[in-house]
Amino acid sequence: MSATLNIPTVSRKRLHWLASLLTTTWFLATAAVTVANDANELAVAEEAAMQAAVKNVSDSVVRIETVGGLEKVGKVLVSSAPTTGLVISEDGYIVSSAFNFIQKPTSILVTLPNGKRSAAEIVARDRSRQIVLLKLEDPKGKLTVPTATPADEVRVGYWAIAVGRTLEADTTNISVGVVSAVNRIWGKAIQTDSKVSPLNYGGPLVDIQGRVLGVLVPMSPQENTEVAGAEWYDSGIGFAVPLEDIFAVLDKLKTGDDLYRGLLGVTIKGKNAMADPAILAHAMPGTPAAKAGLKSGDKIVELNGIQIGRHDDLKQAIGRKYAGEVVKLVAMRGEEKLDFEITLTDRVDPYELPMLGILPMRVQAEEDSNLVVRGVLPKSPAEEAGLQPGDELIGIGEEKFSKLEDWFTQIADRKPDDEIQLRYAREGKEKTATVKLAKQPEGIPDKLPAAHDVEPPADAAKGTGLVEIKLPEEASECFAYVPEDYTADVPHGVVVLLTAPGEYKKSLLTERWKDACEEYDLIVLAPQPADDKRWNPTEVDFVRKTLDDVTRNFNVDEHRVIVHGHQAGGSLGYRFAFGNRDVVRGIANVDVTVPLRLQARGNDPQERMSIYIAFNKDSKLAKRINANAETFREFKFPVTMVEQSSEGYLTADEITDLARWIDTLDRL
Amino acid sequence: MTTINQNRPDFFRSCAIGVLIATCCMANAALHADTVSDAQEKIVKIYGAGGIRGLESYQSGFLISAEGHVLTSFSYVLDTDDVIVTLDDGRDFTAKMIGIDPRLELAVLKIEATKLPHFDVTKSVQLNSGSRILAFSNLFGIASGNEPASVMHGSVMAISKLSARRGNFQIPYQGKVYIVDAITNNPGAAGGALTNLKGDLAAILGKELRSADANVWINYALPIEEIRESVQAMQAGKTLPDESEQADASLAKSPWTIGQTGILFVPDVLPKTPPFVEAVNDGSVAAGAGIQSDDLVMYIGTTLIRSFRDLAANLKKIEDQDDLQITVLRNQKLIPLTLEPAGLSRKKIGP
Repeated sequence: MSATLNIPTVSRKRLHWLASLLTTTWFLATAAVTVANDANELAVAEEAAMQAAVKNVSDSVVRIETVGGLEKVGKVLVSSAPTTGLVISEDGYIVSSAFNFIQKPTSILVTLPNGKRSAAEIVARDRSRQIVLLKLEDPKGKLTVPTATPADEVRVGYWAIAVGRTLEADTTNISVGVVSAVNRIWGKAIQTDSKVSPLNYGGPLVDIQGRVLGVLVPMSPQENTEVAGAEWYDSGIGFAVPLEDIFAVLDKLKTGDDLYRGLLGVTIKGKNAMADPAILAHAMPGTPAAKAGLKSGDKIVELNGIQIGRHDDLKQAIGRKYAGEVVKLVAMRGEEKLDFEITLTDRVDPYELPMLGILPMRVQAEEDSNLVVRGVLPKSPAEEAGLQPGDELIGIGEEKFSKLEDWFTQIADRKPDDEIQLRYAREGKEKTATVKLAKQPEGIPDKLPAAHDVEPPADAAKGTGLVEIKLPEEASECFAYVPEDYTADVPHGVVVLLTAPGEYKKSLLTERWKDACEEYDLIVLAPQPADDKRWNPTEVDFVRKTLDDVTRNFNVDEHRVIVHGHQAGGSLGYRFAFGNRDVVRGIANVDVTVPLRLQARGNDPQERMSIYIAFNKDSKLAKRINANAETFREFKFPVTMVEQSSEGYLTADEITDLARWIDTLDRL
Repeated sequence: MTTINQNRPDFFRSCAIGVLIATCCMANAALHADTVSDAQEKIVKIYGAGGIRGLESYQSGFLISAEGHVLTSFSYVLDTDDVIVTLDDGRDFTAKMIGIDPRLELAVLKIEATKLPHFDVTKSVQLNSGSRILAFSNLFGIASGNEPASVMHGSVMAISKLSARRGNFQIPYQGKVYIVDAITNNPGAAGGALTNLKGDLAAILGKELRSADANVWINYALPIEEIRESVQAMQAGKTLPDESEQADASLAKSPWTIGQTGILFVPDVLPKTPPFVEAVNDGSVAAGAGIQSDDLVMYIGTTLIRSFRDLAANLKKIEDQDDLQITVLRNQKLIPLTLEPAGLSRKKIGP
């Protein structure tokens, strides 16, 4: 019984597919006769259908050749081979993949399927989808524009044929696959398992009816550059930008204006985009979201009529949008439902964290008692407004806050030069001061008052001093120095020490850092490289595991976790810090430059970062280190530069200064 | 079958065609299985030199006669007196190399056996772009003993001239090949067979190569009709001459020179200096043809010129007695121009 039922089920799927073939007349004309006789009918029919489909578009597939330009772009050796383009309007416009022009050629030549040639120029680029629009100088008559497959007819599992015109000028090269997925790369691309590579980037992905699903491009969900995703060539993961989407923006591109990805300018709370709701951590000042009135804490629930449940839904809904587009957004503020109309922007200026200049006491008397001022930074807005240690912070304007995190958010939502009405209490009397926020400081203050009044334990607790951090499945060693007066009542900062090659000594660790650890409530964590002579970039994962282990076992102050690397250790330090922004709040590197090709994002209200760089002014690296510092400042990171008094590692005084720099990282 | 048509009558314009196609769908799977096992019997595993990192000591081949002739790829694997051929049924033989073609990078081996299943190289099918294919080889040396060779399926991506390199070296054969869209050319796959869906021999799988221009790995196979003559010669025990070092026949005996044209180009200072015309000598052939300063030379004949060096290399292919067809780019327009040889009138004088 089950067998007789099964066979029709399987066949039905195939028949359904075949039925779609039969709707097209050419199939009946060319293939139906062969079907009748050949023992291999299906294969023959399929093959004929595919060849007919390709033939249907081949008059729109052009060959592109370039002259001049770069030999190499980054690590990618630029190909000198011909590439492919697709006719998009009969008056001489061609689209192609931006990958085909990364070498910035001096001249572009297009060969039409009829063998005629024309010079071409780039009119505009779609920088969100990495598509380029070209205009032929002399199209020599009307061109053949292909038909786009409507989005609702693109189904996963349907045949998808990748077509290029690179191997030969007079014929196309084709690769057969299926549609693997739709709405990939934040809704921008169709995915296929046909072999997509420089041999067909810029060419069409064709459906079995000879319509165009999309234009083939390399793409990556992580990065948005011309070459991103090119490493996946021929892997069975290929992408095409739907032709319908390109037609939709064609008129805009024809005007010569580049298109950019549309940005709201918000950061979302939480670390799990797949699970967390889209609650704003911040609407960064000056961005479209902030201008429209969105505030931190608002929960986005709808965008252009699409329900937003999770952070990922928002990314998916906004990923397809261009700068300049207006989106209708619905957000919940508490119980209130608010409507917004927001014009997306193409770029968000680097975020600059403002500063009040107050260091809070680290241990509050009770959970909801007011935050007590531990110290006031010199020349800061707080000092100018007359705040003193011992004052209690009440709120800003009408609003009251007691939690440190709320204070952080309140300050971070503003920008330098914004004025706030700061309410505080001194000896039980409430006062108000108008304070103009400033930029983050770059100096190191002198000694500050104690951060808490917790009495140290009478005896050194167990598990303090030099302790070994043992991780299962990790061969490398790791030691930490935990101050002997450690108590779980006091949050401790963590210094992730990445030593210069050959410098790893347990005794040195204690000798150099013991005093600073005890005075400033710090734990120094020193993972050891697997090879004493070098750090391997992949060891960032091991370092992260050691840090997570310390965070689990000790009371760690999340505002004072820094990575501190010396020479090659600092190189790994930069990698570690920028790859682990969720936990690292500071970088303090000595005598080292930023590794090339490091992907770094600007400062962020949620994942704030301060940078300390010690260098020797006679070092060969001094010039490049200074250039690094300037770049960091452009990205609005506060950078503290320290000229070392001697070669090698920091002196005892310099270590104390560094410890004091760390001591100010939880400033408001 | 009729039940389906009743349930979903909208599927078909014609009931009859529907039944016909549906029946063949089910027949299809069985047909493939027979095709595959028939072809697999003709594939051999070859073991020889290598084994050092990055150099596998195995490759593939296939039988081309009932008496044990094996066609395979000519490579370092065969560079030993002790080449072992393992048949599909698991029998091992020490093979003798009886012929080599260095240009096609093919070799014919002979084992002492009879009544073997084999492909007939005197017959072969021609494939077209889009033809669906099966590729048989022992890629990655996965099969051993009597395990059958691996089979992959795909389509012919294009029929094209091979322009590929191994490391920095251009490979000698630059003739017609099938480029396929399956990742067939893996370690150990060279020498395997490419067939149509019926298992008819079409081509022999090539080595792992990168395209010379596009810098991507390409998967290709040499069509049997391109190599038939050579295979038959090798089978007869001939080793063919290595033509790869012979003079390039495309070069002219007395070529055009840049001096003869009367064009002065901008200095060649970059790896890819665009061939911009700096000036044209008065009264020169270039001036006569209408070449102007600031023109960019785009084509010589139909060959795209990417740089000054490219231009110099391509001039060498044109006899100085022939017209030189140059297409220049001027104000974004392609302008074809003809340079007539200066000595033409003199050469025309004669008895």
